[in-house]
Amino acid sequence: MKKNHGIVALALLSAGTLALAGCQQGSASGGGEDGDGGDGAVTLQFQSLSDQPGAQAAVSAAVDSWNADNPDVQVEILQAGWDGAYDKLITQFTGGTAPDIIHFDAASIVPFASDGYLADLSDGLSDEVLADVPEGIWDSVTVNDQIIAYPSTMQSYMVFANADLLAAAGVEVPTGDSMTWDQLREIAQATTTADVYGLGWGLGSPAATVMTLAQGFGGDFFSGSGDDVQIEVGPNELEVPERIHQMAYEDASLDPVSLTQSGSDVLASFYGGTVAMTVQGSFQAANMAGDAPEDLNWVTLPPLAGSEGALQAANPQTYSVNIDSAHVEEATAFLNYFASGETIGAIAQADALIPASTSAREIVATETGGENGWDQILASADGLVGAPFLHADAYAAWKDTVLNPALQQYLGDQITADQLAQQLTEGWG
Amino acid sequence: MSAATAAVATPSARSARSRRSGGPSGPRQRAERREAIALVIPALLPIIVFSVIPLAVGVALGFTNATLARNATIEFIGFDNFVKLAGDTAFWNSFGIGIVWATSVAVLTGVCALALASLLNANLRFKPLTRIIVLIPWAMPPVVTGIVWRMIYDVNSGPLNAALGWFGLGPVNWLGDFSTALPAVIVVGIWSGLPQTTVLLLAGMQSIPTELHEAAAMDGANGARRFWHVTLPGLRSVLIAITSIDFIWNFNDFGIVYVLTEGGPGGRTMIPPLFTYLEAFRNREIGYASAMGDVLVLAILLILSVYIVVQFRQQKEGRS
Amino acid sequence: MRTSPRVRAGQYVLLAGFLLFLGFPVLWIVSASFKSSAELNSLSASLIPNEWVFTNFTEALERQNLLRSAANSFLVAVCTMVLGVVLTLPMSYALARLRGKLRAAGTVWILATQVFPQILIIIPLFLVLRTVMLNDTLFGLILVYVTFTLPFTLWMMQGYVAAIPRELEDAGAMDGANRFRVLLHIVFPLLRPGLMATAMFTFVSAWNEFFLALVLLQSPELYTLPITLRSFLGAEGQTQLGPLAAGAVLATIPSVIVFGFLQKKLTGGMLAGAVKG
Repeated sequence: MKKNHGIVALALLSAGTLALAGCQQGSASGGGEDGDGGDGAVTLQFQSLSDQPGAQAAVSAAVDSWNADNPDVQVEILQAGWDGAYDKLITQFTGGTAPDIIHFDAASIVPFASDGYLADLSDGLSDEVLADVPEGIWDSVTVNDQIIAYPSTMQSYMVFANADLLAAAGVEVPTGDSMTWDQLREIAQATTTADVYGLGWGLGSPAATVMTLAQGFGGDFFSGSGDDVQIEVGPNELEVPERIHQMAYEDASLDPVSLTQSGSDVLASFYGGTVAMTVQGSFQAANMAGDAPEDLNWVTLPPLAGSEGALQAANPQTYSVNIDSAHVEEATAFLNYFASGETIGAIAQADALIPASTSAREIVATETGGENGWDQILASADGLVGAPFLHADAYAAWKDTVLNPALQQYLGDQITADQLAQQLTEGWG
Repeated sequence: MSAATAAVATPSARSARSRRSGGPSGPRQRAERREAIALVIPALLPIIVFSVIPLAVGVALGFTNATLARNATIEFIGFDNFVKLAGDTAFWNSFGIGIVWATSVAVLTGVCALALASLLNANLRFKPLTRIIVLIPWAMPPVVTGIVWRMIYDVNSGPLNAALGWFGLGPVNWLGDFSTALPAVIVVGIWSGLPQTTVLLLAGMQSIPTELHEAAAMDGANGARRFWHVTLPGLRSVLIAITSIDFIWNFNDFGIVYVLTEGGPGGRTMIPPLFTYLEAFRNREIGYASAMGDVLVLAILLILSVYIVVQFRQQKEGRS
Repeated sequence: MRTSPRVRAGQYVLLAGFLLFLGFPVLWIVSASFKSSAELNSLSASLIPNEWVFTNFTEALERQNLLRSAANSFLVAVCTMVLGVVLTLPMSYALARLRGKLRAAGTVWILATQVFPQILIIIPLFLVLRTVMLNDTLFGLILVYVTFTLPFTLWMMQGYVAAIPRELEDAGAMDGANRFRVLLHIVFPLLRPGLMATAMFTFVSAWNEFFLALVLLQSPELYTLPITLRSFLGAEGQTQLGPLAAGAVLATIPSVIVFGFLQKKLTGGMLAGAVKG
């Protein structure tokens, strides 16, 4: 008797499960389509991360016109987001379902190249496209002598200043091609008052900024590539953190609280007039144009130059081709088409980023007229170069577990520069 | 450990049953066993396919040199990963922070939830409204949890410092200061776990037969006594279950911590699963990362088994 | 059962403290959803926006396919909840009341799933799903959610089952009711509060889950709400705070409604009847 009831219960349960399953299958099957259409046309999946409406429109426009011109090779946009993009991609690659064309950035895509997932574009990209982008930027997407991505747009770190506060302190707004760190220090000291810090710098996660600006002093950190990379933390590498430390704790002209904040937190202080200058990613110029109070008279200062010049590490956004794609050639052909000055220029303007290619840079210069700081921002692009840390295999993990914590401790005045160097060296490998 | 739990968890049940059916392997026992299997079978297939298999693969990878590279070859390398892990000081150093973090959040959440659930179970006004308000943080998408708390803790424009300012205190750089970062993050952990724990305890309180309360009240027990002698014993199994799971979840979840502080300042909030993530996904050394996972499993089970055995032993002593 | 006024007052003060702690961040997000981008990026810290703007909501609704992903999420969350409850109820009873190897295996499995870092299971899981052709489908996602929430719901429910006095069942059995009836009419009603809490848990988990959905779904038209919400977090930390807050506020509403509905059942006060029945 009891046994029967057990079986009845079981049958009911499984029937319920199946019924639910059935109703679901119907609605889900409408979803994922697979690679190739039935009519002989090739369909390429293009995973795009662009999130600004203007940039999405530019991407769509390029894809639509390509699709119209190439009925045999149709490109389908898979819109994804920046947040979690790396985790999604690594699962896709490992699971063998990665899209054909992949949008990302150099530092994040390089590991996939080292692991052999990306096609070499050296031969597939046209000479025009190759010539349009400066050598230094190609370096940042070259792994084992293979070009593994087309670099599109990038940012630089810029100094933004409150012109009224500078004027009140009797400081002239610097002009010229670049500005030295000493100049920055002087202006910060001059503009510091009882209520105002000369400089606010959002260095809560200091790694990216420090590694990028270290190029200006020849701070390479790494030599070698792949998994055989040596670290060296010498005076060149320590120059940037030491100068920041000096401004914060010797001169008291840099707000030490800002060193624990994010860039956008410090932007609020800049808008509120409690800091005279702030170092930010160049894209923040667009946000300032929208969010800054009407009466804030902000200007972009010339690019920061170290002993080696106004150099910064270039970490461009990239477009790569999946090596396991059934249609690598077609995908590369699409990239040649996509890499036009108009498309990249439009994406750059929408994202407030610097185009990597010369032609797109010219278009942006003309269309913006250099307004809202674009003149200085575009000028800074000449100093953007590839950097060794982009090619060090274990960089990402070292950055999070060693570099950021050690820099936070140093910039929080908890350890000395020597201890910083020691921690960085011992934490590697 | 599970065997120990099973043995101590149902002492009364067992004695009742053997009295009734006259022996451990009577016909009734076999019937119950069949019944149990029937009750479990419907879910067994998805469990095996989507849970047991990936889990077993994950555990086994710890004994291999697997990477996520294209066409990577996988070889069994025995305990090499574990030997290497033994010398990984950064990983072990983060253990201390992980245990402080997970224990504080689990214990404090448990205490707060017990108090809050009792309040919600008492005959106070606006009960339906307060019960919903309490649940809203649970319903909020986790993506905004970190963002909203960063706004609240903000040194310059945060309401917390503004409130302190009224009393002439502060400002405190909650998430940026080396001494306040971990406590500040623990508060957020409690905030996001409290609603769920409260509901589960509230449900537990609802399941305690009212007769027990009435009987205790007739014996002249006041509110506090009834809570101690009726509510708490009745909630014990639920409370143990929920605090252990809170502990595990918080120990394993670097999400909240990472969003708030990215492990900073100076590594003060870096917990072990972050290393697992970085090793697995960023360094693509999934074999080594899985070895870390295996070690985490052992460590947590060790801690939990002590807790659970102690708890149930007390329960047993309390009864006899 | 009378409570002294002083104790009562203390209870209200404590409750108010909890409500402030739990509710204030929610209010802050709601307030942020009505603030302009300029105000959000200023040093002001007021709960009441200086100037009320509604563009965050229109922007959230228009730009990111919020409604389509909300529909996907709702489907996934409801199916996960129903399947989860249907499977949890009998299994938890079996797990709590019976012993032997089956129970031990179940307990080991439950704890192992919770303790082993999820990040390490993702890739094997993805490969399994691909083998059975369920990657990039909502059905696959539902099955994954059900199996991933099941350990916790079982773990909790067996706690509730263990709290039910065995004598109640025995009393039922002595009245001559068979075991199935005892389960249906005595045990399950007693489990209703726990079951409602379980249902809330599965609904909210599925509704808010981000990571599995992120890696398992590839087609934008299948995206669930958390994926869409995250798209307001741009590259380089360029968070669009206003629309994100607005989206989050909208995303909270369905869960709160479900809570309100289940909550009533959670506190039915039906125990007195159950014992006599």
